[in-house]
Amino acid sequence: MHSIYARVNGISALWSTCVMVLLGAVALSSFLFNADPKGNLDIVSLKVFHSKTRRYPFRNEEIGFVKFNLSADFTPLFNWNTKQLFVYLEAEYTSPQGVNNTVVIWDRIVRRKEDATIDIVQKDKYKLRDLSGSFSNVHAAQYSLKYNVMPYVGVLTYGEAARTVEAIDFPDARDSVS
Amino acid sequence: DFKGQKTADDIVRVVLIASTILSFVIGFVFSSLMITMSTFALCTVALSLVVLPPWPMFNHHPVTWLSVQGESQK
Repeated sequence: MHSIYARVNGISALWSTCVMVLLGAVALSSFLFNADPKGNLDIVSLKVFHSKTRRYPFRNEEIGFVKFNLSADFTPLFNWNTKQLFVYLEAEYTSPQGVNNTVVIWDRIVRRKEDATIDIVQKDKYKLRDLSGSFSNVHAAQYSLKYNVMPYVGVLTYGEAARTVEAIDFPDARDSVS
Repeated sequence: DFKGQKTADDIVRVVLIASTILSFVIGFVFSSLMITMSTFALCTVALSLVVLPPWPMFNHHPVTWLSVQGESQK
């Protein structure tokens, strides 16, 4: 405290502690906001086609194409600590070996509260394909809309907003040009 | 001077802790993290303007050195 350097040193020590306490308080404050948005999800059509794998064009596989109706309102999730909201649509099914598979077929990043209502008729963004290359032995699939809240400071939180009422079977594969 | 140093230290401590609480509360009320961070930054700048440069108010109680005594021994 006798020279500028000593004063800067003393201030910066307490200042960095205060900054960390402030950020910790902000992170903890997001636990005060509990929101549980719900939405509606309908699958319009699901078709499975034969096609070639992307990496090895000599190998055949089956790809599913999904069209869906989606409406959801995510505005209650936006508090002061929300940086963005990652919304994604997942297909969940059990393989014949009993393993649970989930495939993300559509996603969207919501950055502002004004963009947070979703009401679309859409087809999937990513390929719906099974790891074994074929859907013939696979049980029926449920489609669910999930979200992930990303804060400025704090922990990531996940949630589920909508789910199809009943599981939907995969139809048999057909050739696309027919 | 020591009194001045203690004054500076007290000012720093009080202002920093107060500005932490103040910026959290204000940001929470206005529901904007930008407001929190900017009030905290403004308080920091104001604090450093008050404390860092050697204002004469810190020098009101200078240390009184003993007067120089003659050469002792030798």
